[in-house]
Amino acid sequence: MTLDILSLAIISVAVGFLGALTGLGGASIIVPILVLFGVPVKEAIASSMVAIIATSAGSASAYVKEELANIKIAMYLEMFTVSGAIAGATITTVIAPVYLYFFFAAFLLTSFLKLREPLGEFVPAAKYDRLSRWLELKGSYYDECTKQNITYHVTNSLLGGLGMLVAGLAAGMLGIGAGAFKVNVHETILRMPPKVSSATSNFIIGMTALAGVSVYLFSGLLNLTLMAPMAIGTTIGAIAGGRILNRISNRTLRILFFIIIIFLIVQMVYKGVVSL
Amino acid sequence: MKLMQSGKGELGLEIVISYLLIAGVITSLLLEIAGVILFYRTFGNLALQYGSSVKVQGHDFFSFINNLVHGRFAGGAAIQLMTAGIVVLLLTPFLRVLFSVLYFVWERNFKYVVITLFVLVVLTISLTLH
Repeated sequence: MTLDILSLAIISVAVGFLGALTGLGGASIIVPILVLFGVPVKEAIASSMVAIIATSAGSASAYVKEELANIKIAMYLEMFTVSGAIAGATITTVIAPVYLYFFFAAFLLTSFLKLREPLGEFVPAAKYDRLSRWLELKGSYYDECTKQNITYHVTNSLLGGLGMLVAGLAAGMLGIGAGAFKVNVHETILRMPPKVSSATSNFIIGMTALAGVSVYLFSGLLNLTLMAPMAIGTTIGAIAGGRILNRISNRTLRILFFIIIIFLIVQMVYKGVVSL
Repeated sequence: MKLMQSGKGELGLEIVISYLLIAGVITSLLLEIAGVILFYRTFGNLALQYGSSVKVQGHDFFSFINNLVHGRFAGGAAIQLMTAGIVVLLLTPFLRVLFSVLYFVWERNFKYVVITLFVLVVLTISLTLH
């Protein structure tokens, strides 16, 4: 079987759907598939940035309306990711990116610490610290699965900001969206509810990916025959995914997230070992 | 129900951004589908290509858009349409940040005017880099 524009569009529907639900963007799922079919690695990475933007915009249109994506939290964190991304793109010569792969894998492992808590049950943050309060980082949404109104606030917003700076740095250096890293910061440090975390991450990654695309524009790696079908497929998948996130349980979302995280850890360690 | 749950101001921003995002992705989706159909009619197949004629390239983001608007790109209608779809898609998150700044100005929430303005400036700088 060979990959053509039609089959790539169909595969991308599934990628957009999963990306929208988990907040991971989906580039890390589609890149290995493209490479498997013989697409040059650099072209695959560069062109998949477009898939991230389509997933982000397609799903966020629903999330923002349902108030699952918190715009203030997103804007506050974007200050850090976009600064980190710029810094990362310019300092690749200072730190060898190979160590980042291992750091990335190690950090993703910490998402399993949460397994000690009942899977999928959201435990609200205890402390609404002064900075988080000053930044108005709180919100509420109606959970269509449990039929409850969920009110939440963020904690440790300074540490969370620094975490996002590192996520942006890694994204800029490795040319990835770093969506998994961001979701982990949202949940482990900022203590956002899982659905809000996925939705807000989706909102943010579109902008980070845009900053990334700019670097690739000059390089001539952006291939229209890859980008067009990925944009079509991921948009359709993300719009569908965006409509169902609020209806599935946090538990289902967690399980889905962990499956993809394991896949990503293996991928990161592999990339790190290969480039050693 | 939802109107009562949230502050009226925030709901305004959410509606504006939600429509902006959906308008962006739908426009780009239609352009890409039209582009792919034309691509099929031009080449007679849907095979992936790797030549420079299917590569999107520009000095930076803004000069790239400027070139597209002035029709300085070679290639047939299929390539033009597909490029236009990608440009609309790329502009969507950029406009989203721009609209947020305007919205917080209108809301007189100066804390968030500063935050969103910072994001807009750094994003714009990153788009002029290469």
